[in-house]
Amino acid sequence: MCGVTELLRVLQFADSALPVGAFSFSNGLESAVQNGIVHDHDSLKEMVLTATRQAATLDGIALLVAHRAALNADMDTIIAADQAAYQRKLSEEMRTMTVRMGRKLGELGEHVVRTTLLAEWVGAIKSGATPGTFPIGLALVTSGLGIDAGAAFAAQQYGVASMMLGAALRLMRISFLETQSILMEVNGTAEDMYQRVRTDALDDMRSFAPLADIMAAVHVKAHVRMFMN
Amino acid sequence: MVSFLLAPELLRYRDEPKQLPSGGLGKDAFLRLGFKRRGHRTALIELKRRAPLLAQQALYWDDEMPMLPCVSIISNSGGILQGDRYTIEIDLADGTEAHITTQAATKIHEMDANFATQTQDIALATGSYLEYLPHPVIPHRHARFASRTRIVIEQSATLLYSEILMPGRKYYGDGEVFAYDLFSSSIRAERPDGKALFAERFIVEPQISDVGNVAVMGRFDVFANVLLLTPKTHTDRIFEQVAPVIDVERGWAAGLGRLPGEAGLIYKVLGMESQLVRAKVREFWSLVRTEVKGARVPGEFLWG
Repeated sequence: MCGVTELLRVLQFADSALPVGAFSFSNGLESAVQNGIVHDHDSLKEMVLTATRQAATLDGIALLVAHRAALNADMDTIIAADQAAYQRKLSEEMRTMTVRMGRKLGELGEHVVRTTLLAEWVGAIKSGATPGTFPIGLALVTSGLGIDAGAAFAAQQYGVASMMLGAALRLMRISFLETQSILMEVNGTAEDMYQRVRTDALDDMRSFAPLADIMAAVHVKAHVRMFMN
Repeated sequence: MVSFLLAPELLRYRDEPKQLPSGGLGKDAFLRLGFKRRGHRTALIELKRRAPLLAQQALYWDDEMPMLPCVSIISNSGGILQGDRYTIEIDLADGTEAHITTQAATKIHEMDANFATQTQDIALATGSYLEYLPHPVIPHRHARFASRTRIVIEQSATLLYSEILMPGRKYYGDGEVFAYDLFSSSIRAERPDGKALFAERFIVEPQISDVGNVAVMGRFDVFANVLLLTPKTHTDRIFEQVAPVIDVERGWAAGLGRLPGEAGLIYKVLGMESQLVRAKVREFWSLVRTEVKGARVPGEFLWG
């Protein structure tokens, strides 16, 4: 269990009000609602469960690898994890989301956490040497603050679920009581996910959600859009 | 490429079969197909084979592209069995073209020990063009299968590659739908100088995960994953012409996305039945061939 200060640091960077623009994205939910795939409590829960599982087995692995590398100030591995996270996002809007939020988190981290690694990483993004994905930004911020890998992973998983459930309140007929109960249930799966991926390497990054991929493709060409993905 | 021996999804299936040992004689199939220009057309210059995989010779049966060598990959073991280790290498030299398919659907037989693997290395040199469109894969009950595909492609070359995954023998007995243990597929693509373009790795384990989830397969049974790696001018024009679809009534959904690194497109199709999914893959193939080669696709064989 972490101390009061560490806990507050985690809360700060997992907060949905963190100014990295999460509110502009729905992580595929808008398209799912528009196409009738998600229409009630149960289907919303299924969609969020799949999204958090994908987040664990793709970005989660990149985050944990980068978190370990950051403790050794190993910039080469951090960049390799950044590239792996980017090259495995096969939807262009998902790539837009991760690099937009990643860059903002990097700049924020550079200002408030102030580690050399963050400054170096933001420099590499600006020079085009690395894509600048969100999980890598989170790994650098959390490791810089002495937050352990498990808590960093938790912050990421919470961010995905809270982004989608926040979007759900704006996209469909659902009450905050229902979204909070889904959040409670989804958060209950995070420990198991963490145990499954905690020692995985970049080559183990994986996902299987063809309908989510198709919904993302539908969103790219949709005419009416509230969210950027 | 990472060895299958270290693949975490295979760890629980390391027991040896009671029949021939895994990867032993008759189970370590190898096929190498090397294409080069010979005169005014492409020829299959290099053919190395080790049973149970084989190919005979290139035939020029495509009326719409009479210079296109067509090769059918054949297996003389009637399908993929536990302990099989297949390796396929395909190499296209500068300015060549080829069409490769399989003799029939690939049956991955029921397993009670070990697993089967397939490693594919596909290399496309400057200006080359490959259609690699195998028939669907049918994983039977308790089948465990892992494939790794590495693509090295020069910027001006075009590769159209499809994988069609059936849920099993849908109408066998009481229906064998998602009764397999493991289907794992990894694809990575890079330029000849080693620059990585994209990677995709999917692992389907129907016994331990919910394939019917609304964001995974939903109510669909058949999944096609089609890659088109091609120069950006073709990518842009093809992307404009394909509308994404989610049509639960008619039982299909499809979406086309742009790959990272301006590598090309990825087209995913889901359907209830294989006929519709195969027809959609064929429509996409037709669009690609028209755009890239200015030719039509040949008529379908009566036997599918």
